[in-house]
Amino acid sequence: MEALLKISDCIDAVVSRIGKWASLLAIPLMLTIIYDVIQRKFGGQGSIKLQELEWHLHTGLFMLCFGFGYIRDSHVRIELIRDNLRPRTRAIVEMIGGIICVLPFCALVLYFGFDFVARSFENHEVSASTTGLTHRWIIKSTIPIGFGLLAMAGLSVFMKCFVFVFGPTNLHKRAGYYVGTHHADLGDVAKLKD
Amino acid sequence: MDNFYIEDWFPLFMFACIGIFVFTGLPVAFVISGIGIAFGFLGMAYDVFSFIEFFNIVSRIWGGIAENMVMVAVPMFIFMGTMLEKSGVAEDLLECLNMLLRKVPGGLALSVTLMGTIMAATTGIIGASVVMMTLLALPVMLRRNYDPSLATGTIAASGTLGILIPPSIMLVLMSDLLSISVGNLFLASIIPGLLLASLYTVYIFIRCQINPSLAPPLPEGEAVHGKDLVMMMLRSFLPPVFLIVLVLGSIFAGFATPTEAAGVGAVGATFLALVKGRLKWPVLKDVCERSALTGAMLFFLFAGATVFSYVFRSLGGDDLVIDLVEQAGLGSWGILLLLMLIVFILGFFFDWVEITLIVLPIFAPVIAQLDFGHHLDVGGLGATETQVLTWFAVLVAVNLQTSFLTPPFGFALFYLKGVAPKSISIQQIYKGIIPFVLLQVIGLILVMAFPEIALWMPNTLLE
Repeated sequence: MEALLKISDCIDAVVSRIGKWASLLAIPLMLTIIYDVIQRKFGGQGSIKLQELEWHLHTGLFMLCFGFGYIRDSHVRIELIRDNLRPRTRAIVEMIGGIICVLPFCALVLYFGFDFVARSFENHEVSASTTGLTHRWIIKSTIPIGFGLLAMAGLSVFMKCFVFVFGPTNLHKRAGYYVGTHHADLGDVAKLKD
Repeated sequence: MDNFYIEDWFPLFMFACIGIFVFTGLPVAFVISGIGIAFGFLGMAYDVFSFIEFFNIVSRIWGGIAENMVMVAVPMFIFMGTMLEKSGVAEDLLECLNMLLRKVPGGLALSVTLMGTIMAATTGIIGASVVMMTLLALPVMLRRNYDPSLATGTIAASGTLGILIPPSIMLVLMSDLLSISVGNLFLASIIPGLLLASLYTVYIFIRCQINPSLAPPLPEGEAVHGKDLVMMMLRSFLPPVFLIVLVLGSIFAGFATPTEAAGVGAVGATFLALVKGRLKWPVLKDVCERSALTGAMLFFLFAGATVFSYVFRSLGGDDLVIDLVEQAGLGSWGILLLLMLIVFILGFFFDWVEITLIVLPIFAPVIAQLDFGHHLDVGGLGATETQVLTWFAVLVAVNLQTSFLTPPFGFALFYLKGVAPKSISIQQIYKGIIPFVLLQVIGLILVMAFPEIALWMPNTLLE
């Protein structure tokens, strides 16, 4: 059980690290947009490359944060009934949900997403516009990577809940994150009951 | 019905499954994608779906949220709102409004409404603004012996205006789902948003006139006069006005697309934080991280909804919905009222994200068939489809604002309860919100009866 928790913590660390790095893409995105706007205003010509770079950054930003979002439990839930369930029941529901919902979705997107990237790579897909960015497969590969990270997060959550349900009580505190209620988007101001 | 095939009814079962399984408390995005995939496999067993169709889901997700310039506005607006919350602009604004309105009955409550309206025009994030306003204003109001129900109701209602008054993430998503221009929808929702804000203001004013004990005035002796007051006003009004002009101004002047305006707004908010000396590396990192988490939540729900609505359509859901609506023989008004009722009722349990992403795609074909040419007619030429869709989107937007406020699952009430002092009970919050929900229903009916409220701005400015 200890080992499971350790593995889960390791996965968390990797997924969170990548998510945190990806979250900083907001800064270059912001700067690209403002540079593009100013350049167009004073330089006349808008740049297709810059505009494509904008959605490339945006795609990288959110795709690579899907898993991070689950680790931090920021995906929105309907807590009406959940609030009245025992923590143990919540953990069991979370495990079932992981197996039935998260993993099949990730598996499908990984399976077809790989195909999606491979086709793009083989066809040397570039932007539809002549002056756009090339190597479209690079940004397309964030789809399988992002869902791969989400699958890892799903696995980690599953292991934590497994330990919570079947493990010894002294591990409850470390394994019990996903039986709590969080509003990750609000930050420190709104630490609701755990 | 002579030929009954169970597979014809799969789309309805999908809908029913959502209604049941979201209450497991699993993340909604997981539930709807799970249901979509499960029914895909079920459809394969009945030969009405093929495995290879799942490939289309990947390309739909790609085309819908990745390779889509409009969607780039979303992370930038989120960033802008989160950064603004850190910049301390709101504190200054509230302090100044309090000073100006201290002689008016219910002055503090009115300040909160005004602040909510101004902040709404700079950011579109609800959770953040409700929490911020609760932390800033509620303790002060309670210390002045304000009625707790009036205080919490005012905060919750004003804090949620951000979803309706542009720039708002919800309007960006809606315009994408209904294929109308973001700028147009932004323009169309300004007056309805201000209408709601003025309904709140009038209500608070009248109620405090009738019963001054609900909102005792501030004691004398804290006043600021003359030059100091002018300086204070400049210091507190300039930053938000600067941002509003920067973002909305650049969109409406045709100077920038909403996406670019969002980026410019994000830079503007960062600049304000810098000027106020709040911009440090840990703050910037925190803002990035929280924006990314909010964005991930939103876009993953989008991905889940993509799976659901793709399978729903592939199993014949569109035709089924149209058939059912036609068989009901409701006519355009009947359908509209029914949809509004559905959205309103869903608002008791769901948040705007789920309702917009699940309901709009499903009812989009029905909406496109609605005939409101006569009702929306302005120049004698009949209304265009864009006008009908814009009007409809504004109606849904006004309606969805109540989804934050209606118990048992009103997000705003939740957030409010989470950060309010312990002495405030959830019953007081529920009681306080009822008049505001009624005001919103009045607002909704007004926009429905007088479409000019929504369409006047886009019609006039586009000529």
